[in-house]
Amino acid sequence: MLTLTINGQSRDVDVPEDMPLLWVLRDHLSLVGTKYGCGIAQCGVCTVHVAGKPVRSCQLTVGDVGTRAIVTIEGIGSTPNGAKVQKAWMEAAVPQCGYCQAGQIMSATALLDANPQPDDADIDAAMAGNLCRCGTYIRIRRAIKNAAAKSA
Amino acid sequence: MKKIIGIVVAVIVVVALGFAGWLYLGRDPMSFAGGSTVALADYHGADVTGVPAQLASADLVKRGEYLTHAADCQACHTAPGGAPFAGGFAFNMPFGTIYSTNITPDKQTGIGNYTDTQFLAAVHKGIRADGAKLYPAMPYSSYTYMTDADALAIKAYLFTLAPVNAPARQNQLSWPFSQRSLLALWNVMFNPDERFRPNTSESPQWNRGAYLAEAMGHCGECHTPRNLAFALDNHGKFAGTLTAGWRAYNITGDNVSGLGDWSDEDLTSYLSTGHAKGHGGAAGPMGEAADDSLSYLVPDDTRALVTYLRSIPAHASDLPRTVTTAAPASYREGVAADANSRGEKIFAGACASCHDWTGVSPVTGFATLTGVRAVNDPSATNVAQTVINGVNRKTTDGRIFMPAFGAGYSDDDIAAVANYVTARFGAKGADLTGKDVSALRQQAAQQSKEAPNG
Repeated sequence: MLTLTINGQSRDVDVPEDMPLLWVLRDHLSLVGTKYGCGIAQCGVCTVHVAGKPVRSCQLTVGDVGTRAIVTIEGIGSTPNGAKVQKAWMEAAVPQCGYCQAGQIMSATALLDANPQPDDADIDAAMAGNLCRCGTYIRIRRAIKNAAAKSA
Repeated sequence: MKKIIGIVVAVIVVVALGFAGWLYLGRDPMSFAGGSTVALADYHGADVTGVPAQLASADLVKRGEYLTHAADCQACHTAPGGAPFAGGFAFNMPFGTIYSTNITPDKQTGIGNYTDTQFLAAVHKGIRADGAKLYPAMPYSSYTYMTDADALAIKAYLFTLAPVNAPARQNQLSWPFSQRSLLALWNVMFNPDERFRPNTSESPQWNRGAYLAEAMGHCGECHTPRNLAFALDNHGKFAGTLTAGWRAYNITGDNVSGLGDWSDEDLTSYLSTGHAKGHGGAAGPMGEAADDSLSYLVPDDTRALVTYLRSIPAHASDLPRTVTTAAPASYREGVAADANSRGEKIFAGACASCHDWTGVSPVTGFATLTGVRAVNDPSATNVAQTVINGVNRKTTDGRIFMPAFGAGYSDDDIAAVANYVTARFGAKGADLTGKDVSALRQQAAQQSKEAPNG
């Protein structure tokens, strides 16, 4: 039995230690906002925060999480930057099909946590690992800048 | 005039003999230790050949299985994706390609008809059942040190495998390398054709390690440089060399370029799992050696190997000291973006999510780049190969996985990201070109098991 801290709550899970965190979230805890995409850390759709850093949950085994706090898309709106990013996302109508958006919002929030006023290059470096097959990258960048402007 | 010609001829003869003598002196992998050796029958220390104590009372096949792992027959006798031990694995040499053969007990295409005597001739002398000479891609000049009993235990195990009908693939070698008969000369020069002789000046543990490293694991076949005749040159024993498109690193005790700064615990961990914290993990051929062979050794045997490795004379090679501090957290610091913007862009999109801009992975210690020898190798050979082939290994510590990027990225892309990674996280940035990457792909063709997606 493992005890995880997810979105501020303590959750017990009875799973093998080598199970990817993504499986635990979706199949054992019904936190299905985090999506499965490529399964090899190349698309970014499964991004969650572990100890404040954006991490691809398809490659992180649950046994390696340890005591680090996890935040998923279900909990990100309770954080100051997460709330700003979500609001900016709606205002800019960022999503098209929406499949990648949970991962995009997690990476964008982590970016603002580390760098409150990112420029285009900063956004590219932080968001390059999050793919959007609908090509909403321009709206993603605008929404991040709008969210940053609200922090200023 | 005649006198001058005579002197010139004499000088040439002396130089040639001296050179031959030099080559000959380089063939003994254990002479560095000095001391005195005795025939195994006259050695009264602990049992240094055979299986470890835990398996002493196991049946012949079980013992053979352990020794087959220790001798790592499987890695070379299995083609990527092919049936184990059925051969077909390609050795790409400068003078052509040699394929490993089928050692399942199939009577038509394998070794099903081999007698014990024929099997020993193949393992000790490189002579096939039909009398033809094997190429030394089969490491018989190492296996020659194996005892008859151990070789025959391996045979007993191999004969319990399901026979696979897999005819030998035709070697593609240029003349004169295509002439097997010429190997008679090579064998006189470079195959000692003698069984392991324990060194009475060393401990039983050292002798066990020597037997495992030389007669069984044949470490030198990749880690020792070769001479002009493609035989091992033990003047630079274990000093590292390029083998099959991958760099086998310096495993002597040199503090800068070798294993001098590795603790015993690091070495034990690396040998038993193919990974050591702070030093990174094995990929490519060493990953196979870890998975197919070294990880099966019992702890006492791993410790014996460490003892033996520790005794190898330090030999400096051209590798810089490994950088053990993490890179800066921001992509803006450290290696400047404008120096290699293509490499940085690829790293941002494909690599940073697991390896982080610091090189210290937030996902798993297996993915940490800080302190890894490959990243600190300014040739970036193994970085490029790992990017091309990925890593897909199962260890007792968990799965070690990295996607294979070879199919999705161009040679220029892979060169750019390898140059960026070595510059950002290592001692010195590499200078690979797309052409170099193309050559590396060729050299390692058939050697890699591409990781499946997912």
